[in-house]
Amino acid sequence: MNAAARLVPVQAAYDDLLQRSLSKISCDLARLIYLASTRDYNSGNYHHDGLAARFRPDVAGKALEIAHRQVFYQLSAYSLEELVEQLRIYLDSSHERAADVLRIWQKLEPYRVAIPLEVNPAVARLFLSNVRLALAIWRFRQERAPKNP
Amino acid sequence: MIGIPTALLLGTILLLLLLFVAARGSVGARESTSRSDVPLLDDEAALDPCPPEFVARIFSPDDWKFVSETGSAQLEKLFRRERKVVALAWVHQTSLAVRRIMREHTQAARHSHDLQFATESKLVLLYAELMLLCGMLFLAIQSAEPQRVRGLAVYAGTLSQRLAQAQHDLKTITAGREFHGAS
Repeated sequence: MNAAARLVPVQAAYDDLLQRSLSKISCDLARLIYLASTRDYNSGNYHHDGLAARFRPDVAGKALEIAHRQVFYQLSAYSLEELVEQLRIYLDSSHERAADVLRIWQKLEPYRVAIPLEVNPAVARLFLSNVRLALAIWRFRQERAPKNP
Repeated sequence: MIGIPTALLLGTILLLLLLFVAARGSVGARESTSRSDVPLLDDEAALDPCPPEFVARIFSPDDWKFVSETGSAQLEKLFRRERKVVALAWVHQTSLAVRRIMREHTQAARHSHDLQFATESKLVLLYAELMLLCGMLFLAIQSAEPQRVRGLAVYAGTLSQRLAQAQHDLKTITAGREFHGAS
């Protein structure tokens, strides 16, 4: 089988992932977290039962990997203002209290594990730094907002 | 009017000074970025220049404007510190990528039978210019804010992409010639 023929199922799996899962997620930041969560911590391989059942596990894994990298670059290209807005949408859609999420994110920095493998190191640093800044800006806004009685 | 020996002497001193600035910049950038709390993701063997749209983003004045509008001195301080580390990491990565490209090119050139003087000279000059730019950027980022040297950084980013493309093209041509020579 030639390379082009091999790419077709990956493209189909990618389109399927986009249509069935990613389009239903509220923002790019949430998409990134979701895609990173499909990656195994130890092996670095991506797993998605539904996608693997419709295609093949390796094809599904490749589609997830491509989508992960794509969303990561998209998010890293956002301005700080846009990233703060992404964070707002993410916090609004979260079932936890925004203040708790902010505290945990600032303390544990879980977004570090959301970086795909084999991305440009300078872009990875920019992403981490921008998330840190966006969190600080959010915190600042929260502290200045009038408290509800 | 200065004589040829004086001009040569001045030229040599200037060249040595430029090499010193470039080397100082590269070492300094490595030290500064490795001191940061961000894990070192650099895999020198596979390092490519950073895509141009991200170079523009790192050195963008818009983010600074957004942060300064909050009116928080603490946020401004945090932004300056964060962006400086990212900018220095980019300088370090660019200088590593440029050196890797030239190393690969030198290795390939050793086995080549049809080196073209003009092409080789252009590549060496491009390399020297990039190393010098990295040194200058390192010093400038240390003393001023990254957004102030945006033009220089974008120019260095474009040059590094050009060098990577030139090396890629040469590799393709050499591989093509070897293939035809073997068949």
